[in-house]
Formats: sequence, structure tokens, C-alpha cells
Amino acid sequence: MIVIDTATGKIHEVEIEPVETGDYQSLTKRRYFFNWMDEKDKEVYKLKIIGTSGIIGLVSIERIPKEWRIHIRLLTVSKENKGNDKKYENIAGNLITFVSKIAVREYAELACVSLKPKGVLAQHYIDKFGMNITGKTLSVEISEILNLINTYDHD
Amino acid sequence: MTNKKKSNKEIEGAEYGVDSRYSSKKERQVDGKALMEARLRKMQNVSEDQIIKAKLLQLKLNMEEYIKKPVYKDHNFFTEFLTIYIDTIYSRRNNFAKDINITPVRLSQVLNNHRDPKEEFMLRLMIHSEKTYKNVCQFHKKTWYQVYFHEKICDTMSSQDEWRPSVEKHVSISKLIKA
Repeated sequence: MIVIDTATGKIHEVEIEPVETGDYQSLTKRRYFFNWMDEKDKEVYKLKIIGTSGIIGLVSIERIPKEWRIHIRLLTVSKENKGNDKKYENIAGNLITFVSKIAVREYAELACVSLKPKGVLAQHYIDKFGMNITGKTLSVEISEILNLINTYDHD
Repeated sequence: MTNKKKSNKEIEGAEYGVDSRYSSKKERQVDGKALMEARLRKMQNVSEDQIIKAKLLQLKLNMEEYIKKPVYKDHNFFTEFLTIYIDTIYSRRNNFAKDINITPVRLSQVLNNHRDPKEEFMLRLMIHSEKTYKNVCQFHKKTWYQVYFHEKICDTMSSQDEWRPSVEKHVSISKLIKA
């Protein structure tokens, strides 16, 4: 997976790994928008550019095996990657694709990744990631997951 | 601030984060039920082709996960993955044997761990997978080799108690490097 430096167009390979206990101290609300300490007992992953130590994206998930589904609880990019002046492109897409890969590993053709954004964010996720909408829940199933993987996963 | 301005501002920063935690068990259940009903309807339209693609993707991801870390377990991962690969694509294993030009007996011996795959088997499997995965997802040519040798390494390392005593007898160091 890669992110693109919006200023230079330079491509950087990224890695996504589980957040370690020691990381939580640096996951401040100021830089990562949410209180990540609340997710300490959940399954949380961090995205970093390979060879660097700075975390530029985070996602917390809940596996729901009975429904062959993984629900994204929280997802964020770091402060400098928010909005039109973001430093790197693709962070959220990579995180959603990463979760989709876990869903496929677990549930194959039944895989589903869901999230429930508030307000007008839903349309953005529908447009950008091809998400389906059911009530207020957005989801990707196998057809969209295959597209996401072919778009974001270069591994 | 007008609604339009507010909306634009939020969209601009849309990817900064999503908080989609359920506020209650009930909300989770109700949403899950509605989503499942919609998915079940959609699943009726999932083609056989998409199901095969999903299974091949799952297999690839499982193989990649396997080679990432040492697995000290008495289990034949290579043949397990190979069996899944063949059974996902073919209704009869003999057809796979035919496609890579080996005898069904030889394929059976490999799948049942009676014989190690020969070099030509591995090379043909590599090309077969390359062609199969072309329209599914990225698939590294080296994956089957990595799985095969990863299993060999893990097996060798985990069974030292069995092989070391007899092997060590044949090894002596005539020129020992001093500490």
C-alpha cells in the first residue's frame, strides 16, 4: 500500500500494524481527533510510512462473526492530513482496504465492512469508496472490496 | 453560517475521521439486522465468478499471512493451500493435473504428502497461478515457493530434537574460530 505526498507527488510505501500499548501515550486528541485511550481494549491498527515512526492514520474495529462483518468503530488521519492541505493522500482508503482484507480472510465471499458516519460524511464515503447505504449504515461487500483492493493494495 | 457552507466545510475534511461506534447494543442489533437483510438480497446476485475471486483472494491473503511469521505446528500448509487452490477453480482435480501436464497420480502424491513437489511442478504452479490471479488481484510469483520453503524451515527448526543427535555426529570442526 502507498500514500502520495500531495506537494511533490512522491510515493511512499506504508505499513499497517496493531497499535501497541506504548503508542497510546502519543495518540492525543489534538493530533488524532478522538480519545483513542477509550479504544485501548479494542482491535486498533496504525498506519505509518515504512522507515518512519510517525503514525499518520488509525482505525479501530469490531469483528462480528455472526454477521460475517467487521464494523469500523473509529477511523482517523493525523492532524496534518486533514482537509485540502493534507500532506498525504490515500490514508483513509488504505485503512478501509486493510480492514476489507481482514474481512475477506475471515469470511471470503460473505465479507462485509461497515461504518456509520454522521451527517454529510456518508455521501463522501459513498462517492469515494463505492460504499452501499442501508439506513444510516454504509458498507462494502465482496464486489466493492475487490475494487478497493485493486485500487489501494499494491502488495 | 449557511447550510451549504457548513456542508462544504465538513466534506472538505471528511476523511479526517469517522466515529461510528454504536451508542447501544440495541442500535447495533437493529442496524445489523437491517444490513443483513439488505446483504442477503444482494448476495442472490453475486455471480459464481465473484465467489471464486473472493475465495482466491482469501487464499492469497492466508498464504501471505502464513509466510510472515514462523509457525511451529505439525501441519502441511503447502498442500492445504494447494488443495484449496485447486478445489476453488476445478470441479475435478484431474483437470488441474491435465492443465499443468502432470499425471493425476503425481498430483495425488503431492496433495497427500507422499512426495515433495518437483521443481517442474512448482514452476508450472507458479505460471498457472500467475494466469489465474491476473484478473483477481496482485499475486507474487514467489508466493508458492515462499510457502513451501517457509514450511520446510519451520519444520526443520521445530524438529531439531529428532534430527540433531544423528546429524551432529557427522559434523566436526577442525578449525575452531576462537572467541
